[in-house]
Amino acid sequence: MAKKIGVYICSGCGIGDALDIDALAKVATKEYKVPVCQKNAFFCGKEGVEVIKKDIAENEVTYVVIAGCSGRVNYDVFNFGPSVVLERVNLRERVVWTQEPDDEDTQMMAEDYLRITLAKLKNLELPEAYVIENCNKRVMVVGGGLAGMTSAVEVAKAGYEVVLVEKEDSLGGWLKRSYKIAPLNSPYTDPEDTGLEARVKEIEGNSNIKVYTSTTIEKTAGAPGMFDVTLKQGGGTLEEKVGAIILATGAVPYEPSKLGHLGYGASPNVVTQAQFEELAAKGTIARPSDGKAVQKVGFIQCAGSRDQEHLPYCSAACCVESIKQALYVKGQNSEAAVYVFYKDIRSSGQYEHFYKKAQSEGVMFIKADVTGVTDDGGNLTIEANDLLMGSPTMADELDMVVLANGMVPTTAFEDPAYGTEAQEEAACAAADAAPVPAPIIKSNILNLEYRQGPELPSLKYGFPDSHFICFPYETRRTGIYAAGSVRRPMDMSQAVGDATGAALKAVQCIEMTDKGGAVHPRSGDISFPDFQLNRCTQCKRCTEECPFGAINEDEKGNPLPNPTRCRRCGTCMGACPERIISFKNYSVPMLGNMLKSIEVPEEDEEKPRVLIFACENDAIPALDMAGINRLQYSKWVRIIPVRCLGSLNLVWINDAMSKGFDGVLLMGCKHGDDYQCHFMKGSELAGIRLSKVSETLDRLGLESERVYMTEVNVMDYDRIPKIINEFVEKIDKFGPNPMKGF
Amino acid sequence: MKYSFYPGCSMEATAVPYLKSFEAVAHALGIELKEIPDWNCCGATVASGVIGDYPAQVMTSRNLALAEPHGADIVVPCSSCYMNLAITNRKFKEDGHFRQMADEALASVGMKYGGSLNVRQIIDVMVNDVGLDTIKSKVKKPLTGLRVAGYVGCQTPRVFPWEFDDPEQPVFFDKIIEALGATPVKFPVKARCCGSSHSVAQPEITADSCYNIITSAQDDQAHLIAAVCPMCQLNLDAYQDLVKERHKLKTSMPVLFFTQLMAIAMDLPPDAWALKHNIVSPFTALAKFGVGK
Amino acid sequence: MTGFNVSSGPLKYDTEFAREIYSLENGHHIKKCMQCGMCEVSCATRKEMDYSPRKMFLLLRTGQREEFFKSNTMWMCSTCLMCKVRCPRGVPIVDVMHDLKCYAISKGYTERAQAAFYQSFWKEIWSRGKQFEGGLMARYYLKRGWKDIRKDAFRMKDMGLTMLKHGRMPLMPPKSVKGLKDVQKLVEVAKAQLQKGADR
Repeated sequence: MAKKIGVYICSGCGIGDALDIDALAKVATKEYKVPVCQKNAFFCGKEGVEVIKKDIAENEVTYVVIAGCSGRVNYDVFNFGPSVVLERVNLRERVVWTQEPDDEDTQMMAEDYLRITLAKLKNLELPEAYVIENCNKRVMVVGGGLAGMTSAVEVAKAGYEVVLVEKEDSLGGWLKRSYKIAPLNSPYTDPEDTGLEARVKEIEGNSNIKVYTSTTIEKTAGAPGMFDVTLKQGGGTLEEKVGAIILATGAVPYEPSKLGHLGYGASPNVVTQAQFEELAAKGTIARPSDGKAVQKVGFIQCAGSRDQEHLPYCSAACCVESIKQALYVKGQNSEAAVYVFYKDIRSSGQYEHFYKKAQSEGVMFIKADVTGVTDDGGNLTIEANDLLMGSPTMADELDMVVLANGMVPTTAFEDPAYGTEAQEEAACAAADAAPVPAPIIKSNILNLEYRQGPELPSLKYGFPDSHFICFPYETRRTGIYAAGSVRRPMDMSQAVGDATGAALKAVQCIEMTDKGGAVHPRSGDISFPDFQLNRCTQCKRCTEECPFGAINEDEKGNPLPNPTRCRRCGTCMGACPERIISFKNYSVPMLGNMLKSIEVPEEDEEKPRVLIFACENDAIPALDMAGINRLQYSKWVRIIPVRCLGSLNLVWINDAMSKGFDGVLLMGCKHGDDYQCHFMKGSELAGIRLSKVSETLDRLGLESERVYMTEVNVMDYDRIPKIINEFVEKIDKFGPNPMKGF
Repeated sequence: MKYSFYPGCSMEATAVPYLKSFEAVAHALGIELKEIPDWNCCGATVASGVIGDYPAQVMTSRNLALAEPHGADIVVPCSSCYMNLAITNRKFKEDGHFRQMADEALASVGMKYGGSLNVRQIIDVMVNDVGLDTIKSKVKKPLTGLRVAGYVGCQTPRVFPWEFDDPEQPVFFDKIIEALGATPVKFPVKARCCGSSHSVAQPEITADSCYNIITSAQDDQAHLIAAVCPMCQLNLDAYQDLVKERHKLKTSMPVLFFTQLMAIAMDLPPDAWALKHNIVSPFTALAKFGVGK
Repeated sequence: MTGFNVSSGPLKYDTEFAREIYSLENGHHIKKCMQCGMCEVSCATRKEMDYSPRKMFLLLRTGQREEFFKSNTMWMCSTCLMCKVRCPRGVPIVDVMHDLKCYAISKGYTERAQAAFYQSFWKEIWSRGKQFEGGLMARYYLKRGWKDIRKDAFRMKDMGLTMLKHGRMPLMPPKSVKGLKDVQKLVEVAKAQLQKGADR
């Protein structure tokens, strides 16, 4: 495809009033010798769009540059198909809405942004999708409990084949062990039958679902669209090929033998919720010691959960479970006394009605810290501090005590072998700081053939999510989605919703992979990283730092990329010291040229320049919002968007400094424990890389504070002027970059 | 516009100016009022606390049964009367069990209520039946420049929340004030409690509540307070001396029934203003509208 | 605000008393309270109460009989309906307060001024079918006795005179309701119906 550039400068929305459009056009036509340059007051109007379309059709323009509003708006209007390269120069939100109109410096800023884009085009090519042959469109669901069965049915309903793997000899999971379940239907007031039979029947009757019971996974190799899974059944093994995987292996109750302080083990009448469920299923609930039908029962919530000595988190389902079991007791004998000792009743969503029902039935809820459970020969006593009455309290002559003992994900067991101690040690041994990867616990579930470890990385407490709020179901392994209580603690109604969501994610992934596109968050992006392996030094940084484990390596340490696992963040590109990794439309030299295209005035002109690398996920939208709100900020800054700060290559800092920029500001997402980075590790990695730069800067006699990284959340738009202006003021104090003009 | 009228006990005694002004204003607006024959006390806020909700409601339902033959909705100015009559009426319409029991009780004295009526608060009638435009058209002497704190009180907007107004920040009363040409002030406590019947057993509770209301009106530079409920008006007006004494308050705040303001703005004869009954003198505040003793 | 003052040893839950309260006309609603405190921050007379409605419900649920009878909570309620409108659990708190007043009176706890006022007010309705301020006050002071009359008389005399002067305090009671007998019978029948319901 011949590269013919057309520049379209819009003067609408106040751009024409604030800028000299003719002078701007000269940058394109004179400096960059752009063959086509048009001006219009309303390019997003019907006629304006036609002007561009006509140039594409008749003038063979293939690279369209629209200088006007932000690329985050009007993307549907300016859509010229996949064969046209489209770049947007944001003159509106980033220049005229944040700067003095009709001002020399504002004009310079606008011209620089046009230069940046035109320089970008030099190295930019239209990406071609990496499409695998025979993309497998089946989904494997691991775990045949409520979540797994739901996912299987939902995927099958969407018209895809499912392989459902269950390690027990029949489907059902916790449904099998439940007498009844908390209501999944309106009015959410009474326990419901588990509906297990109907669910199993639906699965067995669905020709799209293949069920393996008494089966585990020995090995999972490959990548989205081409997973090769080795199943172990009885003594033998068998192979299945799938395109995506849903992990729904659920959770197990917290080990009750650790709850001796709540009476477990001291009396047979102190039981767990699961044990109580078994008793209820037998018919009349009778106390284990002597078979007496229960008259007085105490429930202890948060038995283990929300306890730093045991499970630091809330297990989310136990409140609703205890409400259900309390209603069993009341259903058996409405005169029975039922006490629920709780920290907070967390009956979220519709279960508020369930809670209210239990209250109306006379179940007594006591907000208390339980101090002890004692057995006086058959009868039990719970002693506690009643937090609402502010007094010590006791419930005695109890027939039974039920411990709501919380849940632990099935992924949390065995050694946290990968990513914790071993690698931390390695990191300490190495002289420079290295990121601590997320721990991978060898829980023997998926047994991934991945360079970074055999299971999904754990986010917290062994739950393999990537972000509980922003990116549910997305694990840190592309094409593998977690659903149900393995992902985070949850009740059954949430697990059903989760399973449905993950099913959709798996289908999306398969379809995207089939077209060579990326999944969340750069959905549909067909670019992918290209490795110039002849120059590789086997340093392994890319294979280690990829947040998604996309890159395996051979015995010599050469990277073996798996493009369908890639999320296109560019972290590998930022990591590579040899700069051999690049995308067709995003590369180290491209960004280098972009920043070099910016005109840096001589020292005596007293016009400092500060370069900002801003993450496209949060910082760029925040900058746009600052513009929309007409917040003014320093006229000395020039902003270059990056896919993720993880793609930041240190050479850009070098380039910027030698070009004469007085400072470089990096705007990325929050990192650390409650990170918001859309690629999990990007901003953290950038911070670590940056720490290496400061030494170099100091050595060159430059203040290391000239390069600074800050966290910007999309809601921080009102802080944007403060962040920018304070940095510019600080740079101002250092004086001009001594390398200016060299 | 025809209504059955339930004046309630206060209208015959402590709220005489309300009765006088309302009857005159109603007449001028073309509202036909027929007093419910031989009506009895609604039970106020008290009967339920002595004999229980249900017996008190059955007692109240006698009034509904007496009003039904006239076939017109019942208009109620007093907030407490409105609460009791409206809730009882709603139970007749919506609570089958209640209705069955109450029918049985009424039958024991040879009465019957078919549940055909609506019980309407006076503000509801003014805004939704009469209409603000009609009120505006009847105003002959707009109360321009008069800053009025519209005190709706507690029960009026809260018996059936959101059915005709917001239960905590009601707006319709202010619209009536506006229709009279006056300026409603912000007055954030317009729907807070006046202290109610604590005025007898523990007058200092009433005095404290009224102090908040009066000072809020003063903070917003109101010239006077307009009230809807006889109890509120009585507490704010008759207990104002106690409020001033207890809280070292210097300035007074006249408190009028809103129908008195309507009578003035509609230029009805001074008898309809009934201002001689107001304990805190309203004459200075109203002097510029030609209102004098 | 005062804290709970229930017992020195460990508190024990008296479900029998709680059940008695739940059996009152609106008593079962108390069970729905989730102790959020919305009533407490909404109450116009909260500062006069020894226990906020929320805490009162807690006392009742845990069966603190003695403390309930000592408390002034229900007598301080001015029926302003704010809590009833706001309660997220739909507890008709004002109606529950009616029950608690009735219950206290029925158990002979009538020494509070408000209880005397309520009883006087009711007697007035019972005997006339309507309420008359003069009669109400006479009955009230009769009930409260000499000490209170002396305390209040001066203040109340002034106010009474002022109201008289402004034509707002009729000296003569209104005409009794003609159907007074019907009114009384209705109340008796309704009470009997309730009793029958409770017995069932």
